[in-house]
Order: sequence, then structure tokens, then C-alpha cells
Amino acid sequence: MEPVPPEIARLFEASEERRRKLAALPWPEKVKMVVRLQQMAAPILRARGIHVHPWELDEGEPPPADAAPSVG
Amino acid sequence: MERALRVLNDMEHAGVLGRYAIGGAMAAVFYGEAILTYDLGVFAVIKPTEGGLLSLAPIYAYLRARGHTERDECVMVEGTPVQFVPVYNPLTEEALARAREVDYAGTPTRVLRAEHLVAIAVQTGRSKDRERCGLLMRGGNVDEACLRNVLDRHGLLARWHEWNPSLRR
Repeated sequence: MEPVPPEIARLFEASEERRRKLAALPWPEKVKMVVRLQQMAAPILRARGIHVHPWELDEGEPPPADAAPSVG
Repeated sequence: MERALRVLNDMEHAGVLGRYAIGGAMAAVFYGEAILTYDLGVFAVIKPTEGGLLSLAPIYAYLRARGHTERDECVMVEGTPVQFVPVYNPLTEEALARAREVDYAGTPTRVLRAEHLVAIAVQTGRSKDRERCGLLMRGGNVDEACLRNVLDRHGLLARWHEWNPSLRR
């Protein structure tokens, strides 16, 4: 197998580092991200005939940030 | 989710539900990055009926009486679809018994340990379970000695050896 070029390896490392940072966020923050993912995926899934229901956020809980989490 | 957890705690205190803990994808989110899921998986001790059957009927009846509706295999609890999974074998019984006490936005709850989540995924063996194993292993929260012990005791080491080389990529 050919070795990965160093510049590409750095990209992969940066991606892994971002994922580690996302994983280290507080659980409620990550739950908000899950809800945001649900909202983003729901129209696509519904268009494919799969009926899903994004969760309701608890009262007083701020809506998830516009920035979506990385799913790559 | 906080309000749903309060309802689960009320059910446990009322004796409708035995000991419970969050499992499945939302437990994986506790240890790793956010992933898409549409239900809250809850492992629980369900009291058997007089005939010895495990039935979710008393749980559904309790929730229905409080305005929570059933939807597919879940119950909508305060806007969160909750899927109740009775512990069904020695591994899930152990996982529930050893679940971590945690706090979600001020509400106490429990989450299955990362090592048990991996072991349950290995035992269940679907492609999405394999992906979940990778997520949990990459998250760096799995105690490998503890995991090996759990896998060994539950006869899962062979499949783990088959899966493990690809999980860290």
C-alpha cells in the first residue's frame, strides 16, 4: 500500500483532532447537536418515505447553534 | 431530553420501572461525538408478569395515562421517543447493574459504561453496531483491560478479534 503523502496525513490528523474535540464537549451540548442533525436529516429522510420526528428541546434550552457538527 | 429523564426517574421511584440506564446511540454520544439518532434507548429491569413473561404493558399504560403516546416501537415522552429495552441476557443484565450514575443538565440518570456498550455492539453484530464500536474506540473512553475482561466472560473475544483491526482507522 502506498504511504499517504504528509500533507494529506496532516489533513486526516486535523480531522481526527476536530472529532476528538467534538467528542469531549459536554453531553447536553452534544445532545443539541444530535437534535440539529435530526432537523437537518428529517426532510431528506421524509423525501425517501421514512417518517422521523426531531426531538423537542426542553423549555429554556437554547436552540442548537447554526453551526452543524462535522459528520465526516 | 431532560424532561424525559425526569419522567423515567419518576417511574423508577414509583416502581413502574426497575433500574434503568441509557444505552444505544445516545449513550455512545455521551462518550463520543454527536451522531444521528431518533430515539432514546433505555435498558431497564422489567418486572415479569405472574406467568413469568416480560411485558412492557404496565409501562405503556402508566405513560398513556399521563398523556404520553405510543409511536411505532417507542413512547413519546415529553417530545422524546423513548424505546424501552428489557435486559435480555447476562451481558445486558451486567451492563445495567454496572451503569454509571451521571448528571444531565442537573437531572440524575445512568448511562451504560463504554466497555459494555462495545460488548453489546459486538454481541448484536449488525453493521451499525460495528460503526458504533469504532466511534467508541476512537473516543478514547474505553478501558481496554476492562473491555477484554467483559468480552472474555461473555464469549465475545473471537468476534472482537475479527472486528478490532479495522475499528481504529
